[in-house]
Amino acid sequence: MNDMRLEERIVQNDKIKIDAQDVQVFYGDNHAIKDVSVAIEDKTVTAFIGPSGCGKSTFLRCLNRMNDTVAGCRVEGRITLDGEDIYDKRVDPVQLRARVGMVFQKPNPFPKSIYDNVAYGPKIHGLVRGKAEMDEVVESALKRAALWKEVKDRLQAPGTGLSGGQQQRLCIARAIATAPEVLLMDEPASALDPIATAQIEELIDELRTRFAVVIVTHSMQQAARVSQKTAFFHLGNLVEYGETGQIFTTPRDPRTESYITGRIG
Amino acid sequence: MTDVIAERPAKPSLLTLDARTRRRNAAEARFRAYGLAAVMAGIVALVVLLASVLGNGLGAFTQTRVTLQVELPAAKLDKSGTRDIEVMKKATTLTYGPLITAALSAAIKDRGIVVEGLSKKDLSGFLSKESAAQLRDRVLADPRLVGAAVTQSFLVNGRIDGYEKGRVTMQSAEKDSNVSPAQLHLADALETAGILHTGFNRDFVTAPDASDQRPEAAGLGVAILGSAYMMLIVLILSLPIGVATAIYLEEFAPQNRWTDLIEVNISNLAAVPSIVFGILGLAIFINFAGLPQSAPIVGGLVLTLMTLPTIIIATRAALKAVPPSIRDAALGIGASKIQAIFHHVLPLAMPGIMTGAIIGLAQALGETAPLLLIGMVAFVRDYPGAPPEGFFDPSSALPVQVFNWTQRADPAFVERASGAIIVLLVFLVIMNTAAILIRRRFERRW
Repeated sequence: MNDMRLEERIVQNDKIKIDAQDVQVFYGDNHAIKDVSVAIEDKTVTAFIGPSGCGKSTFLRCLNRMNDTVAGCRVEGRITLDGEDIYDKRVDPVQLRARVGMVFQKPNPFPKSIYDNVAYGPKIHGLVRGKAEMDEVVESALKRAALWKEVKDRLQAPGTGLSGGQQQRLCIARAIATAPEVLLMDEPASALDPIATAQIEELIDELRTRFAVVIVTHSMQQAARVSQKTAFFHLGNLVEYGETGQIFTTPRDPRTESYITGRIG
Repeated sequence: MTDVIAERPAKPSLLTLDARTRRRNAAEARFRAYGLAAVMAGIVALVVLLASVLGNGLGAFTQTRVTLQVELPAAKLDKSGTRDIEVMKKATTLTYGPLITAALSAAIKDRGIVVEGLSKKDLSGFLSKESAAQLRDRVLADPRLVGAAVTQSFLVNGRIDGYEKGRVTMQSAEKDSNVSPAQLHLADALETAGILHTGFNRDFVTAPDASDQRPEAAGLGVAILGSAYMMLIVLILSLPIGVATAIYLEEFAPQNRWTDLIEVNISNLAAVPSIVFGILGLAIFINFAGLPQSAPIVGGLVLTLMTLPTIIIATRAALKAVPPSIRDAALGIGASKIQAIFHHVLPLAMPGIMTGAIIGLAQALGETAPLLLIGMVAFVRDYPGAPPEGFFDPSSALPVQVFNWTQRADPAFVERASGAIIVLLVFLVIMNTAAILIRRRFERRW
């Protein structure tokens, strides 16, 4: 796990974007997340790692209240975005999700054209006026998702006709077109081949200049390559959270060490 | 650990089957044979059914007519001489009948046809009782015809028509008091003379029903119109209500005992015998709400109640089949629930919803029992008016017309009933084809 770039990666900004305090999640009687407290910094890639079923995806989905759509799911504790409690009664999850975008494990473009996929978010949030402005937004989102060159001549082709890696970049373009502040990524490269994965990872590093990125991954190498901060989850607990370099080189908890050296998980 | 593994024969050959494999292969072969037998039995039953319906019913689409030139004396038909329609209406079919008989008798004489034992009664009974009414309607529609001669083709009696189609023979005519062999000889002679011919019968699908005495004039016009009106009402009411209910139950309703109860009841409603819906319609729409009997509006409402569960169940299944990733995608970029449903889920569920709706409609089109209870079995000769007023006019329905005709004594109605079944089947095939085409057209990959 000696990634050379780890040394270069200085966290530029230590402003806290999302602060989670003592978060508990229950699925019915099942206590899925126990006492998790994490402070996610702005303009930083934070990786959540851990074995399957450890609750990292569940916790990620708490950050934009996607768990609200799951029947029987209950979240306790306090999660703030820029100091505002996102589980406050007055918060509309729809507004929250416009500011905290999400990319899913399996590429899930809408069965519409590439253009319509990207334009959908700005359209429903009323972010643009007129066709010309929308064209610009679509173009810049696709450019930032490193997809523009491949699709600029077939924007009206269906998004489902792209390759897996292109579809996932389309989903990222769709998410960033709504100008979110935080981008949540749930194993964004797990369904992709190594080349597409490399493209996505490169993209994540670029996205960091504009957003806070939180990525859930099964691949420790991926976490080491793309993130500045890493959180290790195990059986619903947050075991360790710190600088990526420190987690992978000198883990403090024996469970973290076991996991990153491949003894558990 | 090795001693746990079962002993196998020292060196089994791949070229010979062991007993166990032979038994398994035999079981598979038997299962295939049962399946094939079941499919073949189904196909045979279908072929027999279609052959019997087509064999009996195709005759309804042709009809035998005699072309005659009829004198229309003003003295008899218009006593005032002013062509006043009210005065002319006083001349009934009893006045017109003898004119046609006279024309037939003149035509026989002109062509030198001589038929042994042809009585006066045979001559007047040769043509349909409907022909006088046809001529009267034509004259009343155009009074200027009076005083001249008109050429018109008249329906012949149902038995003579049956002779032309092979249903009635000389032998059967001798025993039948409704037809004499002399009439059949006359029919042969007229056919040779070229004024009696059997041709396509457009009236079968456009004309209204006719009485027991005139099977040759009976048509499906009113029944088709009534069925069409009912289908329109069912479509307009059940599609939006059913789809909205399904969306609410599937996407918005909380999961509790009340929604469970509603779901169980909807599933049960789909299995309720249709005649029960007829009793319900009679009690609520006619006795309580005071809507008219035999009206397409009541039939449409009753069939809507029957179709709703089908559409709700089909729509819910279609909504469930949309992958959750599409919902996540929409919600994840900040679409509200209603936006996610209407922009993404519903379009993807559309083929399933449309298929369910059309199959529900096809089921409603063929439904008979509830319509009997709300009076659609009545004998209706007047076309219902244009919608929406026409929805309240008395009317018939296709399956009820089939039921009605099979009740009647004259064997010619067997042919009519089978013909009506063919029309009903054609409509069902059209609707099912539409369902398949819509499915293909809207189906999208995701």
